[in-house]
Amino acid sequence: MGSNVAVEPGDVGDAGVASALNLRKKRRLGEMLIQGFLFISGALSIFTTIGIVYILTTESLAFFTQPLWENTNRRLVVDISPAANTFEISTSGKPIFPGQTVRIGNELMDVLSVEGALITVERGFQGSAIEAHRAGLDLFRSNRVTILETLTKTRWEPQLGNFGLWPLILATLMTSVIGMLVALPLGLASAIYLSEYASHRARSILKPILEVLAGVPTVVYGYFALTFMTPLLRNIFGDQVQIFNTASAGIVIGILIVPLVSSMSEDALHAVPNSLRQAAYGLGATKLETALKVVLPAALSGIAAAFVVAISRAIGETMVVAIAAGAGPKNFTIGQDPWLGFVFNPFIAAETMTGHIVRISGGDLSYDSIDYNSIFAIGLMLFLMTLGLNILSQRIVRRFREVYE
Amino acid sequence: MAGQSITPPPYPEGDALQGQIANRHRRGALWRSLFLAATILAILALIALLYNVVNQSFGLVAVQNDVEPEALVRTFFNDEMLNASNTLASEDDDELVAALMENPYAIGFFGFAYYRENSDALRALSINGIEPNAETAENGRYPLARPLFIYSAQNIIRQNPAVSLFTNFYLTHVDDVIEEVGYFSAGSGNIAAARQSWIQADGIELVPGQWAAINPAESGGQVQVIGSSTVYPLTQFMADKMKEAGFAGQIEIEVVGTTAGLRALCNDSTADIANASRAIKPVEFEACRSIGRLPVEMRVGTDALAIVVSQANTFLTDVTDDELREIFTTAETWNEVNPDWPAEPIQRYIPGADSGTLDFFTEVIFDEELRDLPKDTLVEILAATISTGLGRRLEREQRFYADRLVFEDPALWEEVCASEAPPAGCTLGERSSYDVYELVLERVVNPDVKLSWALYDSLFRRSEIELQAQRQYPNAHIEFRAWLTPDFIVSPQSSTPEFAGVRTAILGTLWVVFITILFSFPIGTAAAIYLEEYAGDNRLNRLFQTNINNLAGVPSIIYGMLGLAIFVRALEAFTSGAIFGQVEADTTANGRTIVSAGLTLGLLILPLIIINAQEAIRAVPSSLRQASYGIGATKWQTVWYHVLPNALPGILTGTILALSRAIGETAPLVVVGASTFITLDPDGPFSKFTVLPIQIYQWTSRPQAEFRNIAAAAILVLLTLLLTLNATAVLLRNRYSKQLT
Repeated sequence: MGSNVAVEPGDVGDAGVASALNLRKKRRLGEMLIQGFLFISGALSIFTTIGIVYILTTESLAFFTQPLWENTNRRLVVDISPAANTFEISTSGKPIFPGQTVRIGNELMDVLSVEGALITVERGFQGSAIEAHRAGLDLFRSNRVTILETLTKTRWEPQLGNFGLWPLILATLMTSVIGMLVALPLGLASAIYLSEYASHRARSILKPILEVLAGVPTVVYGYFALTFMTPLLRNIFGDQVQIFNTASAGIVIGILIVPLVSSMSEDALHAVPNSLRQAAYGLGATKLETALKVVLPAALSGIAAAFVVAISRAIGETMVVAIAAGAGPKNFTIGQDPWLGFVFNPFIAAETMTGHIVRISGGDLSYDSIDYNSIFAIGLMLFLMTLGLNILSQRIVRRFREVYE
Repeated sequence: MAGQSITPPPYPEGDALQGQIANRHRRGALWRSLFLAATILAILALIALLYNVVNQSFGLVAVQNDVEPEALVRTFFNDEMLNASNTLASEDDDELVAALMENPYAIGFFGFAYYRENSDALRALSINGIEPNAETAENGRYPLARPLFIYSAQNIIRQNPAVSLFTNFYLTHVDDVIEEVGYFSAGSGNIAAARQSWIQADGIELVPGQWAAINPAESGGQVQVIGSSTVYPLTQFMADKMKEAGFAGQIEIEVVGTTAGLRALCNDSTADIANASRAIKPVEFEACRSIGRLPVEMRVGTDALAIVVSQANTFLTDVTDDELREIFTTAETWNEVNPDWPAEPIQRYIPGADSGTLDFFTEVIFDEELRDLPKDTLVEILAATISTGLGRRLEREQRFYADRLVFEDPALWEEVCASEAPPAGCTLGERSSYDVYELVLERVVNPDVKLSWALYDSLFRRSEIELQAQRQYPNAHIEFRAWLTPDFIVSPQSSTPEFAGVRTAILGTLWVVFITILFSFPIGTAAAIYLEEYAGDNRLNRLFQTNINNLAGVPSIIYGMLGLAIFVRALEAFTSGAIFGQVEADTTANGRTIVSAGLTLGLLILPLIIINAQEAIRAVPSSLRQASYGIGATKWQTVWYHVLPNALPGILTGTILALSRAIGETAPLVVVGASTFITLDPDGPFSKFTVLPIQIYQWTSRPQAEFRNIAAAAILVLLTLLLTLNATAVLLRNRYSKQLT
């Protein structure tokens, strides 16, 4: 090899040479630096997750701790000077308790005691400016949004202090369920066709088309829902279908998820070894019987995982619902609004969780406002739902996987 | 078997077996077609989606202009002619005739009738070799001739005896008097055809000799005639004749112009007869028919202009329309137009601006488009319409002339340009004639799309569309419009859909994607290398892997919220460019910049890039690594010189696919705070931005239909961009897989 390394074959056994050849791994600074950079890059995804969880949690906490001013409908009966600590207020309206913070104009006051119409306060609470106030001004008391309240109320009206998540959650469920009703049968059937029936040639044409469908941006699907699906539904069902409605958004979400369900399910079906099919044929089963009674059960874990991922995708889908589902929560009152005619009516406009986030943040959003914090609370809810579903899907694959080796 | 205690159902035999097999096959075939149908349905959805977008991107529109471009052109050439040197304009034809007679170097034009009255002293020229006479005028070969019509409707003629009588009288006697009024006959054939339609309309049995037997005295009633000023004298003349003949009723004639006259007949039902100096348009015909008035067309005469010179003129017998254009505008002497002609000054005698004659001449001879007008004229038109304030703004954006100012005060201009941030107009070159034309179109003509239709309707329901437009916007005209045009791609955002474009959005998309790739490609690849080549199988590394898989499933809007809280808010000093001293250009962005968007999308596609890159790296055969180690390479040398080059096509393919995902993302950018309306191109990573999907979203959310159209056009742009990227990825993949085999 023309090497000029002066190691003669006879020298290998020589003790002097052996000690010069240090076979231990060298420490190379450059390599270590590179490895360090690679490790940090790998770890960045952890920071992303931590960032997401941290941001969502802290901002949601701010949502649940931020004071929310509620008009008590109780008024000052007399003008008060900056010095007055005890004064008279009207007795009708909502109750005020000692320890609460109240607000008159821009001044905050800490309530020390309440005796009938007489109220004693500490003026200029939390550094607010002490001012004189005229009779007739309303007293506001501070409220906090409680988690219980968000999970029990059925109206989401930030201006009125109503923060019930149910209208948003129900709308999300509606679009997702409708989407699943479209995506699961279509996706699974096309997966079975592609995996079990289609010739090689047909597959090579059909699969790329499904991939194109998966690559179309969701905003285009939103446009499709509004300008194609909604008019189509209105043609079929008439004017009861509103311009914005959950049915059209849901169907289009379904269409957009079909490629996902189809390709994941097909992978699962494909992974079933051929010996199973041949065994079924050997027993005299037809192709359909093989597919439905042998291959499908064998691939069930993969298919179930695909379904779960699809649900998670449907819940998190944003642009279609932002464009086509509606721009305002469908508030309802239990016992007053009919369940089928209104609450679960897919032809009525409703705003989903994601749609609400997009609409609120599309305007000029000021930080630390109740709106700003509320979208993070909704985001947290959304994150937990989708994360839970994704983890569930991985569990399903791991636990129920049939291993054929 | 029979002896056993448990008896399975008997295995079918014979016909039963055959039946069962056939049954199973049938069921198999049924399900098979169901599966196929599902697949086809999914594909149909894609087709419907594309069809819908294309359908909305092209189609008919009803456009209503503030000012018709033809009117601007006509006014321009009228002024050119009226302001040319040695020109006498007069409404009094006798004055023109008298002046023309005396001067051998004079030329003029007016109605043919006046020429004929004075044909002993004047001579009419032929145009392009066609002599003006009854025949050429009637068949339309003589360019300065046009047909004259009256229109009524079948039911009016049947129900209103006065109208029936008047039209009958008109057609019977018009040829006797038309030359008296100053027009040519419509020709006996045309009159006969008009009579025929009248007879059909009236539904009477024709009795021989009936035409002569009309007795105007036997009837009275009311006739309302509205329309063209050109036909007016003829109709008035006929009305007078009718009265002379003893007609007791009323005939009222109003002059409003042909189009308004036909509208009165066909839309408003306020006229019984419309005077028209052109044929009815199909749209107007439909409008008439839709209100139950079947139009009856009666051609009654021919109008012609004569180009005349004095009998003393020796050199002119024929002119071309090119020569006419010069003679009546710029030429000073005859030999400028044609060297064979004498070097004498041209004396011009033309009708005044108030007469329809001048307009008719201009329309026929100066048949030009608005965009062909000289730049000076276009600037004048613009200056006459827009406010000085707007003019100044436009001039500061870009000057109209390099050597002079149109709107700005020169002293103020100097001052503005000397200031610290001079406007672009101080340094840019002048606007081209076409630029000014576009401004005139936008600011003066101001075409407003009132209605728009999808492609399918435009192709198959055209007559209904025209009818609808005619009814709702009678002044609008229908035209076919492609919303996706080269102009659409290079124009900035605008609040009027007619002029809006996606240039700002495309540039924004490119900028954002640039930042995204800068961030996520190196980090994603590095993470993949770590996970595949370095990471041992321990709990931490498994956590990394699980975490990446989970991140890929997080809804994109959550990333938007992360970007809003981290990049926009917490790192505002960095993302607004403040720490680089970049902030003064754009103080309102507040961290809602291209950098924030790019980094947010970078985080979003990072898991995709990592997962794809991992697969590519895994596909590199381990024999390569072992060979590399075998010759003493270090781990990094092995990775850098052997693994990465082999995995690179796969990594690039994955990255491109991830990028196309980033390009299509909308929700996270809405949350991060893409601008709702910017017209300025982004000039760096710290400027405000909008991207294509955001633009599509905003346009889709507008209630006006035209915004849906441009949203569809923008979708086509976006899909084309994505298709190009994906095709690149597929090509790369194919090439790579060929290399391996």
